[in-house]
Amino acid sequence: MTKADIIEGVYDRVGFSKKESAEIVELVFDTLKETLERGDKVKISGFGNFQPRDKRARPGRNPQSGQPIEITARRVVKFVPSQVLKAALNGGDADDGEESAEGDGNDSP
Amino acid sequence: MLKSDLVNVLVAKKNVTQKQAEATIETIFDAMRDALVRGENIEIRGLGAFHVKHYAGYQGRNPKTGEVIPVKPKRGLLFRAGKELKDRVNKAGEAAASSGGGNGQPR
Repeated sequence: MTKADIIEGVYDRVGFSKKESAEIVELVFDTLKETLERGDKVKISGFGNFQPRDKRARPGRNPQSGQPIEITARRVVKFVPSQVLKAALNGGDADDGEESAEGDGNDSP
Repeated sequence: MLKSDLVNVLVAKKNVTQKQAEATIETIFDAMRDALVRGENIEIRGLGAFHVKHYAGYQGRNPKTGEVIPVKPKRGLLFRAGKELKDRVNKAGEAAASSGGGNGQPR
């Protein structure tokens, strides 16, 4: 699945024009990126959370030459799938909600 | 940022009603979820890729009792940030973290 398929879905189900659908989907993903760039989390209930994580520098190796190098400190994005999504991937039989459940996924009690 | 904040962004920046914005956000993430459940991978340029990973079952053990228990095969989800997202997030972090270059894979 690519962005084009998602745009198609919005076009089919919500009733915007193709162009509007494309712009709107673009805006959604741009907003996600901007939020993460600011260092804020994005929580999509029923889907999962995107959270920026600060990694310390650590030793690593060039896998080709075996030469030791330092992996510099960096900030990365971690995605944690919601319980609902995890359950759906595994047949929807987790204790935490069924496939169609909405409004969960904030993952904190 | 929550799903409702995304809805508000759409209402503020595009000529759409609250209802339409809500339907749009639901549609996007439902479509993504459905694709993953079908076992399809998702690639969103600039944002990243979601990959469905199949884990084989194995014989596990209850660490307390030593009892052998079969662990069923399952599916997990891997997310790999796209280049644009990786660079933008890491650049923003540079000021705070003092260093951070773009060489090599972070894993």
